[in-house]
Amino acid sequence: MSLAAPVMSSSVESLPTHESDAVRRDRMRRRNGSLAVFAVLAALAVVFLREVPSWMDSGIQRWAQDRYKWSITNRQTSPVFRWLFNPLTDFLTWSVEHTETLLLDLRWPGVVALIAAIGWRTGGVQAALAGAGAMVGVGVIADFDPAMRTLAIMTVSVVIALVIGIPLGVLSARSDRLERVLRVVLDTAQVLPIFVYFSPVQLFFGLKFAPAVVVTVVYALPPAVRLTNLGLRQVPVVANEVGHSFGATSLQQLFKVQLPLAKNTILLGLNQVIMMAFAIVVLASLLGTGDLGQSVLAGLQKQHVGQAFAAGMGIVLMAVALDRVSTGRPERPLSRQNRLPAVPRNWITPISVAAVALVVVLANAFDWRRFPSSLTYDISSPIDSAVDWVQRNLRKDVPIIGGTQAISDFLVIRVLNPMKEFLLWLPWLVIVVGIAFIGWLSRGWRLAATIAVCLLLIATMGTIPGGGGQIQMWDHAMDTLSQVLVAIALSVLIAFPLGVWAGRSDAVHRVLRPFLDIAQVLPQFVYLIPVVFLFSIGRAAGVVACVVYAVPPCIRLTALGMREVPTSPREAAISFGATGGQEMRRVQLPLARKAILLGINQTLLMVLATVIIAALVGAGALGLVSYEATSKPNLKFGQGVAGGLSIVLLAIMLDRLTQAWGTRPNREEKQSR
Amino acid sequence: MLVSRKLNKGEYMIFNGKKRHLAVAAVMLATLAACGDDEKAATTASGDCKELTGDAVTLAVNPWTGSAVNAQVAKAVIECQLGTPVEIIEIDEYATWVGLDDASIDAVLEVWPSGHAADYQTYITEKGTVIDLGLLGPSAKIGWYVPKFVVDEHPELASWEGFQDPALAALFGTAESGELGQFTMGDPSYVTFDEQIIANLGLPLKYVVAGSEAALLTAIDQAIADNQPLLMQFWKPHWKHLEAELVEVALPAITPACEAAAASGDGTYACDYPVDELMKAANAGLEAKNAAAFNVLKAFQLTTDQQSEIAGYVDRDGLTAQAAAEKWVADNPDVWGAWLG
Repeated sequence: MSLAAPVMSSSVESLPTHESDAVRRDRMRRRNGSLAVFAVLAALAVVFLREVPSWMDSGIQRWAQDRYKWSITNRQTSPVFRWLFNPLTDFLTWSVEHTETLLLDLRWPGVVALIAAIGWRTGGVQAALAGAGAMVGVGVIADFDPAMRTLAIMTVSVVIALVIGIPLGVLSARSDRLERVLRVVLDTAQVLPIFVYFSPVQLFFGLKFAPAVVVTVVYALPPAVRLTNLGLRQVPVVANEVGHSFGATSLQQLFKVQLPLAKNTILLGLNQVIMMAFAIVVLASLLGTGDLGQSVLAGLQKQHVGQAFAAGMGIVLMAVALDRVSTGRPERPLSRQNRLPAVPRNWITPISVAAVALVVVLANAFDWRRFPSSLTYDISSPIDSAVDWVQRNLRKDVPIIGGTQAISDFLVIRVLNPMKEFLLWLPWLVIVVGIAFIGWLSRGWRLAATIAVCLLLIATMGTIPGGGGQIQMWDHAMDTLSQVLVAIALSVLIAFPLGVWAGRSDAVHRVLRPFLDIAQVLPQFVYLIPVVFLFSIGRAAGVVACVVYAVPPCIRLTALGMREVPTSPREAAISFGATGGQEMRRVQLPLARKAILLGINQTLLMVLATVIIAALVGAGALGLVSYEATSKPNLKFGQGVAGGLSIVLLAIMLDRLTQAWGTRPNREEKQSR
Repeated sequence: MLVSRKLNKGEYMIFNGKKRHLAVAAVMLATLAACGDDEKAATTASGDCKELTGDAVTLAVNPWTGSAVNAQVAKAVIECQLGTPVEIIEIDEYATWVGLDDASIDAVLEVWPSGHAADYQTYITEKGTVIDLGLLGPSAKIGWYVPKFVVDEHPELASWEGFQDPALAALFGTAESGELGQFTMGDPSYVTFDEQIIANLGLPLKYVVAGSEAALLTAIDQAIADNQPLLMQFWKPHWKHLEAELVEVALPAITPACEAAAASGDGTYACDYPVDELMKAANAGLEAKNAAAFNVLKAFQLTTDQQSEIAGYVDRDGLTAQAAAEKWVADNPDVWGAWLG
């Protein structure tokens, strides 16, 4: 999940080079005025409105429910279905079925060879070996045939995401207004819980492959648009002007100058699209795809954690294979890379095509249809016994910490309950004004207004039945907010020290990296249910699941930030006699501050992605409300839509706020000016 | 995710001007792949089975064993005796109705009607795109359950009246429920009157949604391992009854008032759950598409014992649903012989 990857941080706003006394006094006066405005608003809020008033209900729930009902009644007759959705459905199903047939007919050695060939082309021998190795690993650990079905769905989805995303990116690079609109749309698409659009997608696209592709495209599209946009906007002005002066038309300019120069960024987008697509594969399998994702779900439904884990690792390995061959990332300098194969570049394609062809012919001739069972390795039994051991030994009677059950109870009673009760105790307008005030302190009026609008919109989402009466959606939002805040705090507490350590020690970095890679692609479902083994059903399990998912990117980005600090100021500090610790605290950490804060922004988005599916282990709140849009659409679709939109609004608010911290100028920069 | 920030120029030759090579490669691969097609011989079982021809009939399997074995038994019979291929699609209960509506699913052999009154109304009564295929045979029942050790220690908890005592209810307390006892609900998609029952009987319990069946099953294991009381919504038949001793808590008998409350949804329900007579449903076009298969599915019936026997092969003996169904079909030709009419 990335609403805003670090690469997209807007440039640091420029500050006046120096302030005269008059300017400063004027600024102080304005600040005091603003403080007074917020104080008056807060006071009014306390006096007048403790609860969200019923007149604010926008009726969105009923509206959405009626649209759903209409679609059910009219899906056979309405022209929208007959001329748009039905042909589209047929096309998508046809594409996936034929891609799957093709992959299966290549036989497994052919698929491995194909991946290796692509890897060789993009990243040399190393990428070829990594890709092929990971692909063989899929067969060793999981079933190869369902994996090919997953791969077919992924391939079709990624191609469609690029076909839609790159032109959209080109257009938004040329229009600031379109970019702003698209940004909100894409943020919404990515944060809106999949549960909310599950039922409509089924109505529009039926079951199995077509809706799975649609869901995957919605989720994987944003990076294609964003990174194309970013790449084109980063093309140097000079390059554009040279093109102009040679009389290039606008289209020539685009295809001959801008796109080639933006190629690397766009390809980074391709890589991100693939990773996003893999992140959604298990959820998409709820539509009846019968692929590897469904093996994960089936394993969990029967409490066979080992089986779910094996299938999950299969997905991870496939993602790793595609990641390696799509970034072609050389670990070593290119010069040494190219020396390994003594093959001129323009021979690579013919050689690899011939090699793949040979492998396919052989595989078909000898009928290597199935992955040889002698090569498979069953990881499910050791996993099952490990999980069993953990469940029996870590839950209770552990010396000192008392076991996970005690941690779980502590989290609920001492942390989550007080937090939630505090948020519910505060008059709702005080929360609106208060968070807007934080926004104003961070970035000024514009951010304050954004935050206030988000929160006010949540208040228009109405009420839902529960607890023997009606509960405000606002209350559910505050429940979710309390879980999100606790999960973020815990993630940062765990990830920050590890990230700093990994940022300063290459050995630690090397040890952590493979775990971080796996943890980021491993479907959340694989550990969602095992989390319940240790932390009993409820919000504690949900928060822990969020933390497990959010810690790896937080570590990664913290370490990255630390590593990107230039060496010269650090060496200067040492040469002036600073100890290692002083150098870290006074030089490296402050210089890495922005990158680390953007890491927190990413952590937040990870937490928001997980807090929704945490409803499946008892976390309740907005996640449960939106899940019910899937589970009982004929009764609760409208509620689910309202709940899902509330999550989007919370996400946009928190995202803009943490992003403002990440892009605020460093204190050092301010002082040096 | 997994992004390298070091991007060097010229690493992405695949997108460069060498499209000719790629096109050649694609054509070659496609040709080779096509060569493999004719090898797709029929992989069906030997014996006196008919060869598979024609369009497949699609059966939905919902995520529980009973549903899977019904469909696999039907598949084994229809494929072998009629020569019609049967495709199985694993899908959740509510999506099943959407599939029945647009004929991407031809039939489902186990519907628990209590959870689908609205779907029955919409698709069968109003739209007429789905038809009622009659009863499957077994009946099922949702209810309140506790592990057996709870009733051994406190016999009064075998009935709902026992839960009126706050001290006894508090035995079921957790961090989430505070001073009250916790009532645990599994998957929120299941039919539930529990919140209403708790409120209308005035029980000191807090309704907590575990979120999924898997989470609920884990809670059962933990409760039994820790001797920690657990009160939950559960049902029969379910494979968990084979390995965990669970006792149903008696709730007030169903009254006409409760039936009215269930129909109107006015929130006054305060009785036990009704018995679910499991039923079958099909797309309305199935009879025209394949009358022979339609007739078999319409006649398809299993007794509770027969279904438990096949489910036992899966849940107890670790067979796949397909293997279990084939074993049972081989052993019981007289039962399915009757479906062929």
